[in-house]
Amino acid sequence: MIGQVLEDELLNKVTKPTRYTGGEYNQVKKDWANVDTTMVFAFPDVYEVGMSHLGLRILYHLINDQESMLMERVFAPWTDMEEEMRKRDLPLFSLESRRPLKEFDVVGFTLQYEMSYTNILNMLDLAQIPLLSQDRADDDPLVIAGGPCAVNPEPLADFLDLVILGEGEEILPILLKKIGNFKKEMAGSKEAAPGRRQTLLRQLSQLPGVYVPSMYQAHYDDGGHYKGLEKLDGSAPDRICKQVIQDFDQAYFPTQSMVPFMGVVHDRVMLEVLRGCSRACRFCQAGTIYRPVRERSAETLQRQADELIRQTGYDEIALTSLSTADHTCIEPLVKALLQAHEEKRVGLSLPSLRVDAFSVNLAREVQKVRKTGLTFAPEAGTQRLRDVINKGVTEEDLMETIEKAFQGGWHTIKLYFMMGLPTEEEEDLEGIARLAEKVAYMGSDIFRSKGIRKNIKVTISLSSFVPKPQTPFQWEAQNSIAQLEEKQQFLKKRIRDRRITYNWHDAKVSFIEAVMAKGDRRLAKVLLKAWEKGARFDGWTEHFRYDRWVEAFQETEIDPAYYAYRNIEYNEPLPWDHLDYGVDRSYLVREHKKAMEAALTQDCRHHSCSACGVCPSLGISVDLRGGDHGQNSDRL
Amino acid sequence: MARIRIAFSKEDPVRWLSHLDTQKAFERALRRAQISLVFSEGYNPHPKISFASALAVGVISLGEYVDVEIDPLIENAELVMRLQKAMPEGFRIIDAEIVPPGQPALMALVNRAQYRVKVPLLSSIEEKEVQDSIQTSLDLDSWLVERESKKGLVQKEIRSGVYEVKGTVVENHLLLEMLVQTGSEGNVRPEEVLSMVVQQKDLPVQLERLRIIRLGLFVVKDGKQFTPLEVLKDLR
Ligand code: SF4
Repeated sequence: MIGQVLEDELLNKVTKPTRYTGGEYNQVKKDWANVDTTMVFAFPDVYEVGMSHLGLRILYHLINDQESMLMERVFAPWTDMEEEMRKRDLPLFSLESRRPLKEFDVVGFTLQYEMSYTNILNMLDLAQIPLLSQDRADDDPLVIAGGPCAVNPEPLADFLDLVILGEGEEILPILLKKIGNFKKEMAGSKEAAPGRRQTLLRQLSQLPGVYVPSMYQAHYDDGGHYKGLEKLDGSAPDRICKQVIQDFDQAYFPTQSMVPFMGVVHDRVMLEVLRGCSRACRFCQAGTIYRPVRERSAETLQRQADELIRQTGYDEIALTSLSTADHTCIEPLVKALLQAHEEKRVGLSLPSLRVDAFSVNLAREVQKVRKTGLTFAPEAGTQRLRDVINKGVTEEDLMETIEKAFQGGWHTIKLYFMMGLPTEEEEDLEGIARLAEKVAYMGSDIFRSKGIRKNIKVTISLSSFVPKPQTPFQWEAQNSIAQLEEKQQFLKKRIRDRRITYNWHDAKVSFIEAVMAKGDRRLAKVLLKAWEKGARFDGWTEHFRYDRWVEAFQETEIDPAYYAYRNIEYNEPLPWDHLDYGVDRSYLVREHKKAMEAALTQDCRHHSCSACGVCPSLGISVDLRGGDHGQNSDRL
Repeated sequence: MARIRIAFSKEDPVRWLSHLDTQKAFERALRRAQISLVFSEGYNPHPKISFASALAVGVISLGEYVDVEIDPLIENAELVMRLQKAMPEGFRIIDAEIVPPGQPALMALVNRAQYRVKVPLLSSIEEKEVQDSIQTSLDLDSWLVERESKKGLVQKEIRSGVYEVKGTVVENHLLLEMLVQTGSEGNVRPEEVLSMVVQQKDLPVQLERLRIIRLGLFVVKDGKQFTPLEVLKDLR
């Protein structure tokens, strides 16, 4: 029925219809009659963003490779599609079987970004599934979530039945298997079982890495401060531990990847070369979530690349990770991949580069056509502030690297900076402008001396610091919107050079992001209100309306400044304390104190272990594949 | 090295692919099928793949054509089989034929398109009304239509590009079949023919549920009509 309406009435009315058709090469369509558990992976953003997400691609094929379960996909419908669906009362449906989400056993959201939270509510509503976990009945799907924002899912706690912490590859099939078994047991018993849903949730909460928010109640003191969680059920674990893959080299990786029809953000083979990063930037949440660093061996990667190219027909391979150039075998790997696929004109790309000459050399090797720009992230304008955030980069490094880039023929350089970092002063902002100018002058000099008539373009992209849970800066306050906007204007006036383009992020978006990132369960009301007022696609400039959020905070009597602007004491209980990412609080405190002294912490891959606690607590260790290159006996 | 002409159909769900997406889908399928493509020379080499004509988004086609340069050559039947396996659902590879050297490009060759449009009726009408509408419109010397172009709305005269229109009523739907001009000489769009016919007698149709099928693309040479593959077979 849905398929008919879709083909006859909807698709010709919406932009980009292939967002909703499915049918991509390597899509998996399984027979519902032959599986015990059905799950739909729900991505709370549009198709082209979601299909670029590696996690979706891994879990999709992993689950569909299991005989007793299936996974389909759904993305947030763009506003034109939503309108048409609401007009006809058409429920949100999956791409593969075009079935309503309500018919699945599990609807699983990935939490990539705080600003997609209202899309989750919108998708549940479109799916005609009760928004609040407590309102769901036995035959409603289990609404689950995972992904980076599971670090603190508390603002979403009321909407989610269950949250998975850490890497899902091992635990998700186990979870779905349990759900399937439970269904079979229940089908066998004739009695109507009251509280069946609770029974199932209680069973699932016993699995490692699984957090069932409804089994806990949050308490606040008279001053409105969070006091802690109380277990409502004796069987609930005190702490929930993130899950990690022990042997990343041997971990599941699909080589029959889907090939979207429309251009998606990352429209190429994505080869995950390593997981984690231990450079220990103090603002970076990914640095905690994915610890410790684990590499895939060059042999495995080459084999996966071969198979992926054969199975997808893509003409480009991207080597992805938090910092690909850090892979201990990167050079031979790049050479081997280029050589193996040269004949078929398959190119390589390295999405993230670190600031050093080595990276530029690599980029030069992989770049077939030298017209795209190079991006570097010095993050701060002065050495002092770079030391505060532990960005182990000096100005000499940066200038040397960029000189190499100009010498190599690049003329567009993009520099990422953050404003509003802890301890930031005017001279740090001034430093951003000065650095950009220095880069522009150097570029022009080099080009002039070589007689190249081409304009230098330096783009500085400025985001606002958002303090994130499970980082050394989790206790820090964010700059106010007014402060951030003032700083943006300061720089705007300061940068007059026509070679420099200057972009900045909306400070109001960063503010909401900060509130949600460090929020507690009381924020559910705000999310609900903001969504009722029309909030969705808040990460998209054309849809974000700050006034909706202001009203939502006022009407729910919640002070957003409390969450974003307050310096938190070390001994205060935090809403995410029960979620254990393996990194010790003492390490985070130590790092925070070192930040205030602008003292550096070294990368545990190549220097001594900085005792973050992850390796001993998860029973795992840093896993590098480069032989003696960079090995360190001092590591735990 | 050889140029191969491939005939294919494009149905659900891939009828929603844009021309660009269709090109990409073909290139990727050819790569998956391990058919070695020939690339252009120069700064940014791209495979030599060229389509007969762009198909509007949402239109089903039973007769599309694409020329592909490959090296080494593969036998026709083998190519059809391998490519079919590598195509996404909704594309059917119908046939393939080697193009002898010196033949014009597909795009320059094709000059006719046959369409069938199917549109629900809001109230029932007599078959005769349809025939009258068609006849009245065909009797007109001038069909001016408005089209969007880069310079805004422009008027176009399309009557001379309409060669044949037939119509009937089936299960409360109006069905029109037409043969119109396409290619470098100009394009006539099936919606334009439909709207011209409907206008004459104010036929009650539900335009937003219009379905269009391209039945085929043709080459008219010396008063005879061939498919782009028949042209090649004729040369043999
Ligand atoms: S425990 Fe030591 S070696 Fe392991 S990730 Fe933490 S700092 Fe690195």
